[in-house]
Amino acid sequence: MAAIELDHATKIYTIGEVETRALDSVSLAIEEGEFTALVGPSGSGKTTMLQLMGCLDKPNSGTVKINGQDVTRLNANQRADLRREKIGFIFQFFALVPVLSAYENVELPLLLNGVSPKERKERTTSLLEAVGLADRMDHRPDQMSGGEQQRVAIARALAPRPLLVLADEPTANLDTANGEQAMEIMARLNKETGTAFIFATHDQRVVAYARRIVKMRDGRLVDGNANGSAK
Amino acid sequence: MAFKKFWVMAYRDLLRNRRRTVITFVAIVLGLTLVIFMNGLITGMLDGMLRDTIRLETGHIQIRAESYEVVKTSLLWRDLINNADELAARAAAMPEVEAVSPILWASGVLGTASESTSVRVSGIDPASALFDPIREGLRAGEFLSGNGRGQILIGQRLADELGVGVGDRINLAVGNPDGVPQEGQFTIVGLINTGFPGIDNANVFLSLAQAQSITGSGNRASTVRIMLHDINDTDKVVAALQTPGLTVLGWRELNELILTTMETGTAVYSILYAIIFLVVAVIIANTLLMAVFERTREIGILAALGMKGRQIMTMFLFEATILGLVGSLFGIILGAIVVYYFSINGIYFGDLGDVAGSMAFGDSLYTTLVPANLFLMSFWMLVVIVTVSLYPAWYAARLEPIEALHAL
Repeated sequence: MAAIELDHATKIYTIGEVETRALDSVSLAIEEGEFTALVGPSGSGKTTMLQLMGCLDKPNSGTVKINGQDVTRLNANQRADLRREKIGFIFQFFALVPVLSAYENVELPLLLNGVSPKERKERTTSLLEAVGLADRMDHRPDQMSGGEQQRVAIARALAPRPLLVLADEPTANLDTANGEQAMEIMARLNKETGTAFIFATHDQRVVAYARRIVKMRDGRLVDGNANGSAK
Repeated sequence: MAFKKFWVMAYRDLLRNRRRTVITFVAIVLGLTLVIFMNGLITGMLDGMLRDTIRLETGHIQIRAESYEVVKTSLLWRDLINNADELAARAAAMPEVEAVSPILWASGVLGTASESTSVRVSGIDPASALFDPIREGLRAGEFLSGNGRGQILIGQRLADELGVGVGDRINLAVGNPDGVPQEGQFTIVGLINTGFPGIDNANVFLSLAQAQSITGSGNRASTVRIMLHDINDTDKVVAALQTPGLTVLGWRELNELILTTMETGTAVYSILYAIIFLVVAVIIANTLLMAVFERTREIGILAALGMKGRQIMTMFLFEATILGLVGSLFGIILGAIVVYYFSINGIYFGDLGDVAGSMAFGDSLYTTLVPANLFLMSFWMLVVIVTVSLYPAWYAARLEPIEALHAL
């Protein structure tokens, strides 16, 4: 069973009288443990795709299944539950909670998931060590560099041990060294944890890390090989 | 677990925009202080008015003939008490009673050669402690002496109006029980200024014996006025003094007008409190809405992390609660200090006597600190704050995660 599966998912945005088909009948399956790059020019539908996969939005037609469960029928609270337990997010801007320290940011999803204090501490500490921030745990986001913040975000995305991590242009605001470091960390954690990673990007250096590449243009998949699932 | 973290986040979020938080906090503190002060002022004003009126005008208890109507100051014998001295002696024997004295009231006209004015004549026992408040108001000359023959005590303002002073002779005309005017010449022995225009502007005092003789009332009196050591003994003493043919009135019946005014006043001022609460409410709502707008993207992040609308709402409500609790705490303290200060030192308001009509009313207002009211006001402030923050919190909770994430 695929970790996540889009079946003829279509997303139309209406601004005023203008309809935009951000996603046009896309079918795609992502298996557990994949490390997949979603590439394509701006406006090709990458972000929309991630939003549908991340249960942040619903398609106008078609289905999105996570672990075989059709999530398009879920209400807002049920989708929140699903996000909290199954999905990690990494954003282009370093989306940390500014009033929480690095440690608290990573711990937050665990608190929301009701993980025991002991386990919270173990997981948070080991994740921050894994992203090389053992000595920055008590720093607030504004006391950290962009690279460090993004590494905290990676740790936070992995904290609930999700099925998949969705990363939208994770390196776009990082310099080369920090970008590569972030990618290396993600690649390593993907291998270690078996969590699937899907990252939208148009940065060729990022694409180089991917084991699978899904190309998009105008809301459609353009690479024939990407359309088929690994089933 | 997560709840504890919400408190921490709410607290830290409040510290992020310190200036705004401080301004909002100040609005709560000042709003609450103002409400507490107004409440203290009104309570003090009404309490003081009642206390002074009891002290100067009504006493705690009066015994009157059943047919007596105070506004008519009737001198008809059937409206007067025959055995006033006996009743006074009976009351004086009770341990609860501090002072007791018969009084005879009459309407009269006070006149000089060129001026005249209508007054209320009170015939009092100059020796009785009941009239100490009037004795204390003596500003010139002396108080009425033993039998008070030919002596009159008049208000300083009244004297100024008529252009007379201590030692001057003045004409007093009263109607006797048959309605025939009786005139007498009196010497002004003293001028009084009790600070209560209701008394100073329209009252003259004679000795009881003198008043009885000029009105031809024999040894009758309009009322027997009683002051108690403790106001709470009123009902008990009233019950004990019941006599057939006479009516015994407690301070509540004697001050119905003031008590009604107090109730109406309290209701009217509730509207003012509501206005202040409303202003604070608008400030709070504004602060929280701004916070929600500023943090829209963070709300999106929290939603992406799987935080539910309910939890996001809780976080903002916690912010409001912290603001409300801390603001109320400081508001209570500041309000209590202000009210306490003015309960000792008073606020000079000048002459409000004309406004207050016949009720005793001093020229300074003293606030009254009612601890229960402090907490009641703070409680309402907190209720108002949390209630108005429901909207911003709900607004934050209902943001769509993707739209929130895209907000700049």
